[in-house]
Amino acid sequence: MEFNVSTFVLEIINFLILIWILQRLFYKPLLAVIAKRKDFINQALADAENLKLQAETLRHDYENRLKSWEQEKQSAMQALQAQLSIEKTTQMQRFQDELEQARQSAKAAQALQQHQWEQQLERQALQNATRFAALLLKPTVTPELEAHLCQLLLEQWSSLPEACHTSFKNMKPKEALPIKISSAFPLTENLQKSLQNQLEALVAHPIKLSFSIEPDLIAGLRIDLGAWVLNANLQHELVGFAELVDASQSQ
Amino acid sequence: MVIDVTGIVIDSAILTTWGIMAVLSIFAWLTTRRLELFPGAIQTCVEGIIAAIDEAILAVAPDHGRQILPFIASLWIFLIIANLVSLIPGLHSPTREISVTSALAVLVFLSVHWFGIKTHGLKKYLHHYLTPSPILLPFHLISEFTRTLALAIRLFGNIMSLEMAAMLILLVAGFLAPIPILMLHIIEALVQAYIFGMLALIYLAGAMQSQQLNAQE
Repeated sequence: MEFNVSTFVLEIINFLILIWILQRLFYKPLLAVIAKRKDFINQALADAENLKLQAETLRHDYENRLKSWEQEKQSAMQALQAQLSIEKTTQMQRFQDELEQARQSAKAAQALQQHQWEQQLERQALQNATRFAALLLKPTVTPELEAHLCQLLLEQWSSLPEACHTSFKNMKPKEALPIKISSAFPLTENLQKSLQNQLEALVAHPIKLSFSIEPDLIAGLRIDLGAWVLNANLQHELVGFAELVDASQSQ
Repeated sequence: MVIDVTGIVIDSAILTTWGIMAVLSIFAWLTTRRLELFPGAIQTCVEGIIAAIDEAILAVAPDHGRQILPFIASLWIFLIIANLVSLIPGLHSPTREISVTSALAVLVFLSVHWFGIKTHGLKKYLHHYLTPSPILLPFHLISEFTRTLALAIRLFGNIMSLEMAAMLILLVAGFLAPIPILMLHIIEALVQAYIFGMLALIYLAGAMQSQQLNAQE
């Protein structure tokens, strides 16, 4: 408890030595490594800051690039929309033209078909009319009517076309010319004789007549003379009327 | 135990101090021989101690922290171990001797003037005793003496009384009774070491930085 000078002096010396030892072995190395670590951390922070700045720059560049890309995309989209609109209009116009053309074609085809149907119906109507007229006439005709028609034929014999006469005269058969005479009723002998005389005068060659009965003729004659057929009967007249009406309507 | 070598008395306080110095030297050598940038557990621990001391010093003396760190850090480390060494049976704290605490207080006293003169020069340093008025010079001188004496007496009185109280309770109440007192001893030892080192730091910082403040004014 008393104050001891030796202890006092030695303690001062001891503490100074302790400071020196700790400074050499403890503080200096530890502070050095702490400073080194701080430098390392600062360097890492600086590097990180640089990287951050670079990243910011890159981000800025990328954002600008994205903006420009967006603008380009918008422009391209607008151009595409305009082109699509033009193309759509063109296609629609073309489709409408084609549709109109097809409609016109269909209309024409339909009209043609309608016309053909009408013609066919008319033709059928004429045939029916001919048939009805024949059916109507059949009960009314008589051999006298047929004789009258034969008489009419003989009277108009000379009014045959000149070409017909010439053709008949130019015939030069080796033997007698066969002529077939068809009638609805049997012909009288006088009428047959008259026909033979007229035909011999017309042909100027020997002829060979053959007679036959065809009720379809209704009334009158049909003379088959080589390539020629002379009709003087109601059936032929009715057919001729129908063909004449048909031809006039077709025109 | 007292050894007298040609008039130089080596008592238990000196021997304990040497032991503490040896332990600290070995500890310092062992912990700092392989320092790495990425520290392990022990290195982290000792770096934490130094970093804490450094921060405390820089908080008080930001401009001269590194200059006074060895002295203040050594004071704190030595006093903590010296105050706690009496917890080991058979050993006594060196700081229960007035000679030891006086030596440390005198070292603080000398360090204050040493660092003050080193920082500002002798003339400027001595001039601060005349500020703000020369009339205050005696008070400055008395303050220098009394605060040094207070440093020594405070540490000596606290540590010596702690040990004596523990001893008396051990004698009176038995073997396990002084344990609360020993726990109080730990707290008191740490507090006294902190107070001694912090006062020394404040004195040093005052000597080194008051001149700068005056110069700035």
